Amino acid sequence: MTGTCVSVLISKAEAPETEARFSERIAENQRRVFQIAYSVLGNSADAEDVAQEAFLRAYQKFASLREAEKFRWWINRIVFRLALNRRRGHGRRLARDSAWQMTETPAMVDGAKYAEQQVLLDRLRREIERLPEKLRSVLQLSLVEEMEAADVGAVLGLPAGTVRSRMHTARKLLLEVMK
Amino acid sequence: MKIECEKWKDQLLEAALTGTTAKDLEEHLQSCAKCSAELDEVRARAARLDALLPLVAQGAEPSADFRARVLAAVTAKEGKRGRPWRAWTLAGATVVVVTLLVVGVTWLRRNEPAIPAGEVAAAQKLAEWRAPSDGLLRTPGQEILKGMPRLGQSYLHVPVKTDEEE
Repeated sequence: MTGTCVSVLISKAEAPETEARFSERIAENQRRVFQIAYSVLGNSADAEDVAQEAFLRAYQKFASLREAEKFRWWINRIVFRLALNRRRGHGRRLARDSAWQMTETPAMVDGAKYAEQQVLLDRLRREIERLPEKLRSVLQLSLVEEMEAADVGAVLGLPAGTVRSRMHTARKLLLEVMK
Repeated sequence: MKIECEKWKDQLLEAALTGTTAKDLEEHLQSCAKCSAELDEVRARAARLDALLPLVAQGAEPSADFRARVLAAVTAKEGKRGRPWRAWTLAGATVVVVTLLVVGVTWLRRNEPAIPAGEVAAAQKLAEWRAPSDGLLRTPGQEILKGMPRLGQSYLHVPVKTDEEE
């Protein structure tokens, strides 16, 4: 039996264990990965497509991404790039989620308040789109749950201090225009 | 905001974002009601902004079956990747079978029993044997034509005696 056949048989025997580990990684990361895509794309359908594509690519490299931390950094980076590519590819055709597609929060229970918030959110998204690319990227990633300045810096190749400084500038610009 | 208060605009934004007020701004606020009101307004806006910003990324959730769909997609992709492996195995097996056939036939030919030398010599003689009449049958008229007179030649040669001989 050739070496190739042996390695194929070994990989087949390990497949269930690999899938179980990979399933764990999805559970740990899916929320954040989806949110990164959603912050860039603004709609759930595209965000899920991109998040799924990122996980498929991660599976192909799973042998070198066994460590949870390594996996986390790698998938953060890849999903952000995939989301940017999709946004560039779709341009203005990219739809934003309408109000009923959003997750209901306690603040949204009141219809009038929810509608007002929705209007403000749409405006805020438009203003974020107008920010310079380097500020926008930092802002979009910083808004995701569990994304600390170091995590954002790892995705963008920036020191954590630069991330904080750009985040502050972005917030200041938004504060000025969101009157 | 008054024109002379424009220079405080940036500091007001900073104060609203950081929650700290610079000393010179604090002194100005004590004497400027408009800037104090502006600071209150900017702070309220900053609070609204801070409430809204997380929704940009966290306003939606992945669907409940997201993990199952990713795993199904992984399985489907792995299945597709498995097919070329089977094709290569089949191709390899075919090459092995053909090689074995060629080697086997060659080996059988080499080990066939040799024909005895006597039989070979007899077969050679038989192949080279010709009947005695074969030469005549091939050129039947040649020998006859050799002796035939050509046009103008006399058929019988009669020696003529000269006068001196007589």
